[in-house]
Amino acid sequence: MKKKMEQSDQPLSAGGMINPKKKKSKVSGSSINGWLFASPWIIGLLLFYAFPLFSSIYFSFTTYSILSPGEFIGLDNYKQLMSDGLFWKSIYNTIYFAVFFVPLSIIIGVALAMMLNMRVKGMAVYRTIFFLPTLVPHVALAVLWMWLLNPGFGLVNGVLDAIGITGPNWLGSVTWSKPSLILMSLWAIGQPVIIYLAGLGDIPQELYEAADVDGASWLQKTFKVTIPLLTPVIFFNLVMGAIGAFQQFTLPYTMTQGQGTPDNSMTFYVMYLYDNAFKYFQMGYASAMAWILFIVIMLLTAVIFISSKRWVHYQGK
Amino acid sequence: MQPKARQNLLRTSAHLGLLIASAFFLVPFLWMVSTSLKPVTQIFTYPPEMIPNPFQWSNYIEATQYIPFFTYLSNTTIITVFSTIGVVLSCPLVAYSFAKLEWKGRNTMFIITIAVMMIPMQVTMIPLFLLFNKIGWVGTPLPLIVPAFFGVPFSIFLMRQFFMGLPNTLRDAAKIDGASEFRIYWQIMLPLAKPAVLAVGLFQFMNVWTDFIGPLLYLTDESQYTLSLGLQQFQSQKGTEWGLMMAVSTMMTLPVIILFFFMQRTFIQGITFSGIK
Amino acid sequence: MSNSIFRKLMFSFCLVIVIALVACSSNEDGDGSTSEGDTVEFWHSMTDTSGDAVEKVIEKFEEENPDINIEATYVANQGEGQNEKLLTAIAGGNPPDVAYFDRFEVAAWAAQGSLEPLTEMAEEAGISQDNYYDFAWEEASYEEELYAVPTTTDSRLLFYNKDHFEEVGLDPESPPTTIDELEEAAEKLTIKEGNRFERIGFIPWFGQGWFYGWGWSFGGDFYDPDTGEVTADHPKNVEALEWMTEFGQEYGVEDIAGFTDSQGTGAMDPFVSGQISMKIDGNFGVAALEKFDPDLNYGVTPIPTPTGDNFTTWSGGWSVVMPKGANNQEGAWEFMKFFGSEEGQKIFSETSRDFSVIESVNESLGYTEDPIFAEFINILPESNSRPVMTEGSLYWNALADAVEASTRGNGTPKENLEKVTQQVSDALEE
Repeated sequence: MKKKMEQSDQPLSAGGMINPKKKKSKVSGSSINGWLFASPWIIGLLLFYAFPLFSSIYFSFTTYSILSPGEFIGLDNYKQLMSDGLFWKSIYNTIYFAVFFVPLSIIIGVALAMMLNMRVKGMAVYRTIFFLPTLVPHVALAVLWMWLLNPGFGLVNGVLDAIGITGPNWLGSVTWSKPSLILMSLWAIGQPVIIYLAGLGDIPQELYEAADVDGASWLQKTFKVTIPLLTPVIFFNLVMGAIGAFQQFTLPYTMTQGQGTPDNSMTFYVMYLYDNAFKYFQMGYASAMAWILFIVIMLLTAVIFISSKRWVHYQGK
Repeated sequence: MQPKARQNLLRTSAHLGLLIASAFFLVPFLWMVSTSLKPVTQIFTYPPEMIPNPFQWSNYIEATQYIPFFTYLSNTTIITVFSTIGVVLSCPLVAYSFAKLEWKGRNTMFIITIAVMMIPMQVTMIPLFLLFNKIGWVGTPLPLIVPAFFGVPFSIFLMRQFFMGLPNTLRDAAKIDGASEFRIYWQIMLPLAKPAVLAVGLFQFMNVWTDFIGPLLYLTDESQYTLSLGLQQFQSQKGTEWGLMMAVSTMMTLPVIILFFFMQRTFIQGITFSGIK
Repeated sequence: MSNSIFRKLMFSFCLVIVIALVACSSNEDGDGSTSEGDTVEFWHSMTDTSGDAVEKVIEKFEEENPDINIEATYVANQGEGQNEKLLTAIAGGNPPDVAYFDRFEVAAWAAQGSLEPLTEMAEEAGISQDNYYDFAWEEASYEEELYAVPTTTDSRLLFYNKDHFEEVGLDPESPPTTIDELEEAAEKLTIKEGNRFERIGFIPWFGQGWFYGWGWSFGGDFYDPDTGEVTADHPKNVEALEWMTEFGQEYGVEDIAGFTDSQGTGAMDPFVSGQISMKIDGNFGVAALEKFDPDLNYGVTPIPTPTGDNFTTWSGGWSVVMPKGANNQEGAWEFMKFFGSEEGQKIFSETSRDFSVIESVNESLGYTEDPIFAEFINILPESNSRPVMTEGSLYWNALADAVEASTRGNGTPKENLEKVTQQVSDALEE
């Protein structure tokens, strides 16, 4: 395999795709290399992704139920969705979650990563601790939170009580159920934090030294050096965070036993999709939901990508 | 003089902040461990107790007998290790191509890569299953391992972001020396991206280690089952064996913690530009 | 610096892959040639005592049928796992020969044509409705065809804490029988501080207090199998939901929800911790109580009705089915027949402590002599099964939503139940 790759050695410059200003007209050799390097994934896409994706588009125009192929009904599934009350409710819930969770996860994630990047003794232990909640199985997390948030004897309201605040009913209240979930999800922030840490590690030390020479304050260094150079990974976590938030499923599903209680305030988009697909035998309907979700996330991601030209700075340029 | 005093203050407050935050993040894990050591009647007492009394170490022994723990452990390890190897080999290569090479169709391919993550797997998992069924892989761990060797979109995207940050000057210099593209990737770029490669490997390891739905669908023989399927066996209509379940969870978590503990150093190590430039 | 180490690592990875692929492909060959001879593949989701019980059934069956070999596989069937595995296996044309299956879903799956009809085989073997409780047989059939052999059942009753009764001056030996008495007792038993319950007397929808139970107890009905009419908005059902809504308002729905939504089952059950004095639960709740608080002094009694008579309840339970495309149908049927027979039922029920679908088995196992179990068994002849229809899951979720919405003041009970009727009727028509 190695030999195959050792063919072309043409010089070329590579601006990021985000910044395609100076494209070279010389493509020949490098283009082949590009395809060769990307070939495993392109083959993988064709083998493991193409068929399932195209099938699900087709299903979305049928009454497919997994157990029977169903019949072609054109756009009926999509039309029916427009007048489905729970569909809209689940959209509202999902957007609510995403709007609060994604920015919060970025702010808290970056802050934590910066804390964990300090040169302090015992950092290995601290880092491991912050990573721990990600490792606890979901079933256990769900139960633990129900227990912590119990209005009667839960730890959270106990602490609030001690400082003179009467805590809300958290998971039992239509108003507080989603904030509770956001809180829980922020707990498992270990993965983005590691990515930020790796990103921080990439920032050349000289830049800080230079800033020190210029007499920059900590705040200035943070906003003029750290954050700008962290934008490639912030960008990554923003995109992945948005995709993940819109597909929120396991934790609320486990916690409410799939019921989305109280009063459907925890029925998220993919939970409703799942019920349609696997409980009501409406895989066609569920597929239509999936493709609507696709369009929504796609638009959002497009906005992020287009705007990223303004705020994402790659060192490698 | 003064800046030094300030720095000391900063450091102390940093320690303090870290300590408080750690306490918060430590709760779920402590709870898991403490539950794993409690007798069944003590798990949800009112008011809650954090420290088991007495310590019921026998939960661990019982748990490994309740399910064939060691069989599941070795199955999980095999699947996880191979699929992690797959990702570590394939994803940086593809990501490098997306980040540093110029080729026709690159942008389109990259957009497709991101796009395939936007479709919830709940609707693609049936056709994917039918596909694997057709080629006779259902009932083997292959559907859980082989796709990783062709790349995982999440990891490709992440790796690409890191490669984007590597300076082109390095590459250009190597070009002048007459190095081939693969040589540049293998000997210069890949070693530089080591922290990211390790992070990607770690994530893949974790995801596969705890994956539930994949093994559920594709493994049909109990002797092939993984630990996450084993965890389910502690739940029944008559209630959950929380003590035993948490004992298995704890044992299941330990390898990842150890792995993480020894790997985390590389994340800050970062890329030492100074030595290369 | 450590570049060379890293490189070596990568090369050794490559090596491992080659080994891996070789190992995997040989693995495949080994697995390809299983199910030979007269093997019956059986998927079930039973662990714990039920798991032991099913093992005993299989053992006995194999002893009596030495030429048939049962290959039992545990398949998670809870939470996220639901029935995905069986679904995909049937869709892929590679199902097991027998599957342990929630009777509630038989109609929906049968309508999809994914279960083998058993009517003929059952007739030949002399198995008929007379062998089983009526509701169990009904749930196992769809449009005049039998699709499942019932194996277990359950029922729901009112559990009450005798110590609490005594504490507040109620007679622990005469629990409430009418709705009024129930309300009165609940009020006496409740201790509320601010918006928090130290202890709550009763919550209609807690535990197994699903709306089906209340509808029937109030004299309502949900479905007419002859005309296919959905009657979620039956006047008596509306009455039941109105009562639940009033109850919620009186105690503060949010406060109740804060209490219930952070509780669980099993060890987390507030009935175990003495935070709730009365609850609706099934016989399976008994095992949990014995396990988590064996000393709890409690009793069970039929769910109160407005009039204090005509007690009723509803029952679910499990069965064994033969998925469409099963390879070894004859062997499968032999096993299903045995599991559903008096002999198989006795073995299973004795170990699992689940109720049998055969009355005589429950009697012979002494369930009718146990003061707690007897109450559950005695109500079985009056029990209902949830509507046997293709949209059972939708109906269930829609009713749960209607209760949530009504008690929280999102529309009146009547409106919400009318919406359920509409929604389920529409889905049935499709």
